[in-house]
Amino acid sequence: MKPLNILIASVGGQGGLTLARVLATSAVLQGLSVRTSESLGMAQRYGSVVGYIRIGEEIYSPIFEPGEADYLLGLELNETLRNLHYVKPSGKIIVADEYRPSYEMSMASPNITRNEVISEMLSINPNLLVIPARKIALKLGNPRALNMVILGVFVGLSGIPRIEYVEKAISEILTGISAEISVVAFREGLKFVTKNSLNL
Amino acid sequence: MNLLSPPGTKLALMGNEAIARGAIEAGVKVVTGYPGTPSSEVIMTLHKFSKTLNIYVEWAINERVAFEVAYGASLTGLRAMVTMKAPGLNVASDPIISAAYSGTTGGLVILVADDPGPHTTQTEQDSRWYAKLAKLPMISPSSPQEAKEFTKLAFSISEELELPIFLRTSTRVNHSIGEVLLGEVETLSRFPLFRRNQQRFVRAGMAWNLERHVWLNNQLKKVEEVVGKYYLNKVYGDGKLCVVTEGAAFNYVYEVIKEHEVKAKIIKLGLLYPFPSKFLSKILPECDEVLIVEELDPYLEENIKNTLFDLGLKIKVYGKTTNHIPLEGELNTRIVKKALGLPVESPGKHVHVHPRPPPLCPGCPHRFTFVALKTAIFRSGLKLSEVPIIGDIGCSALSVYQPINMLWTEHSMGASVSMAMGLKIAEYDKPVVAVIGDSTFFHAGIQSLIEAVNKRVDLLILILDNNVVAMTGHQSTPAWDKSETGRILKPVLIEDIVRAIGPDELVIVDPYNLDETTRIMEELLLKPGVKVVIARHACALLEKRLGKPLKTYTVVDERCKGCKSCLISTGCPALYIEGGKAKIITEDCNGCGLCSKFCAYEAIRLLEVSG
Ligand code: SF4
Ligand code: SF4
Repeated sequence: MKPLNILIASVGGQGGLTLARVLATSAVLQGLSVRTSESLGMAQRYGSVVGYIRIGEEIYSPIFEPGEADYLLGLELNETLRNLHYVKPSGKIIVADEYRPSYEMSMASPNITRNEVISEMLSINPNLLVIPARKIALKLGNPRALNMVILGVFVGLSGIPRIEYVEKAISEILTGISAEISVVAFREGLKFVTKNSLNL
Repeated sequence: MNLLSPPGTKLALMGNEAIARGAIEAGVKVVTGYPGTPSSEVIMTLHKFSKTLNIYVEWAINERVAFEVAYGASLTGLRAMVTMKAPGLNVASDPIISAAYSGTTGGLVILVADDPGPHTTQTEQDSRWYAKLAKLPMISPSSPQEAKEFTKLAFSISEELELPIFLRTSTRVNHSIGEVLLGEVETLSRFPLFRRNQQRFVRAGMAWNLERHVWLNNQLKKVEEVVGKYYLNKVYGDGKLCVVTEGAAFNYVYEVIKEHEVKAKIIKLGLLYPFPSKFLSKILPECDEVLIVEELDPYLEENIKNTLFDLGLKIKVYGKTTNHIPLEGELNTRIVKKALGLPVESPGKHVHVHPRPPPLCPGCPHRFTFVALKTAIFRSGLKLSEVPIIGDIGCSALSVYQPINMLWTEHSMGASVSMAMGLKIAEYDKPVVAVIGDSTFFHAGIQSLIEAVNKRVDLLILILDNNVVAMTGHQSTPAWDKSETGRILKPVLIEDIVRAIGPDELVIVDPYNLDETTRIMEELLLKPGVKVVIARHACALLEKRLGKPLKTYTVVDERCKGCKSCLISTGCPALYIEGGKAKIITEDCNGCGLCSKFCAYEAIRLLEVSG
């Protein structure tokens, strides 16, 4: 297996790092080698956050370079656009339909709209799926489970890691009610792939 | 993930969790430190096992106190560890350098986490020089697995040499998750014993100090042999090109050389000080060229050149001094490829997107304090460009970003009050404001306040008290009545300390009372003397986490005129503009209501109270 490079682009607090952790843990449960890293900036929350995950047989480097990502998982549109140059020409993008402009984006006039961000991304890389992840998560009663919906879509499309390990990883990392909701949100993501016969 | 799983279990662990497991496997009994990214999770992980394993795991007031506590504990023969980020080592350096002369009996590991990048640190400090300065051994792991192994071994090495040992890591090891195979947990049944030995432990006798210096130099001569038993230095591959590396940089070197099938010998050093010249003297003569791939300063490079000189070898050395490896920033595979003359991938199109620097959180009480200060400055007839706001380390420094944009300096722990004082001593003729957080005040601000009061300067000092070390992930402060491990503590209150120091004015205010806070600041700004305001309100994120009933605000779409006044006045990250209207992200709003105060159209309304 060639190392699989996954980049997670998010706003701090959206659960991008939890998503990375779940992927890493499930890969190890499956007996694979894994490295993750993050670019956290100086604060814990609300700034741009990038998570790197590398899965394979023998991984050393916890980061990879622009042009090397097989998958870009985006929890927010602007952050995904920001990191698009990480994606390989053959790479794929799964992004939540979540639009949270930063202060400077909001102040810019005219400020770039949701649809403009999406069409700009599509013009650069058409291997892109926009997922109504917030709506799905809201139906489950917690918009914060958006990250697990995206995880479900990713696993549904890539087959990595295996579903049972992902579910085990979620219940090992999260506790109580958030673990329950997360597993359901993950399954909703999987279902979304089959229901819409998505492929990328 | 259960860190206490039996040996042989493979877990996905972050480097810092692996270090925690390594310390558990070594039977550590006392662990302390001061929070600092990327080192904090070691102690945060160990907190959970304090009761089960009977380990003292608690934060200290600062790094030097932490080291001294750990050092004292290690003198009883128990194993101890102290953790800090690189600048913390500067604070702890005084007692550490002296401790090298006295040595230890129980294993004593000093974890210091460097931050090439830098990601979360004021400088790209290279702590490897400290090993040389303090004359203490230093080892450095490259992966989470090694982080665990090296931690465990560090305790044995320390005991064998009777010296404290540095375990030096960097962000890409501390904060990287990888598979880690767990090992045996040592059961040490040791009783604390401290034998009086004044020659060894009293550094007041100059003859004794000279004697101990001889002893220390002798111990250092043994390090390579002692450490050699554990094979911390490794060689991979073969070739006439030798690539010397260590720490996180090894990973980039290994992957590039493997992927591109470069004929090269990788020499990975696990022991950084004393420099393993004996080990290298066997390998270097076989090399035609040496490339040194290391982060931060050319530390290896300097030492390799010395070693080559001693061996009488004239081999070309490439690295930072030849511009093959940059002197700043962190390394990656791209840089290694370039240094080896290999092709690099061309990145996809980079789209410019407005930056998203970390703002103050929604509901952050500091936002109120800064808004009040801004208003007070205006009302006093002063300009923002003439009142220096001398800041300090911590969340309050996030006020540097737009639109709050208040901070003039952020320097080092505790520097705000003393630097502000310096401005006044230099007779800067406008008011000067020092801003410091509660934990930073405890850490290094108290002496500065004593200095300012004693020297009678005119200074407004704001202590932003959110009752937690927030920036690094919510650790305890000396004001807590219970430690993270559930031990009952005696809270030390900031106002008691300040009162004892005796400034001219002391006011405690809740910044959520914006009008009162503004009025107090306006009143004090131009008054002579040292004026201390404790702006006290718990960290909004902590309150949320602790399940405090929450209010949420929302924007009534029809009323919003899109004037952005709410956003410009607060910069709250729960607020944004879409389609010319303000929106509030419900799950992020912490219900402080600040934005609503700035909406002239009464468009921002209380949505719900929950919890
Ligand atoms: S009330 Fe306004 S300023 Fe306060 S947290 Fe909510 S959106 Fe932010
Ligand atoms: S201040 Fe009021 S009217 Fe102006 S953008 Fe904000 S919510 Fe809309």
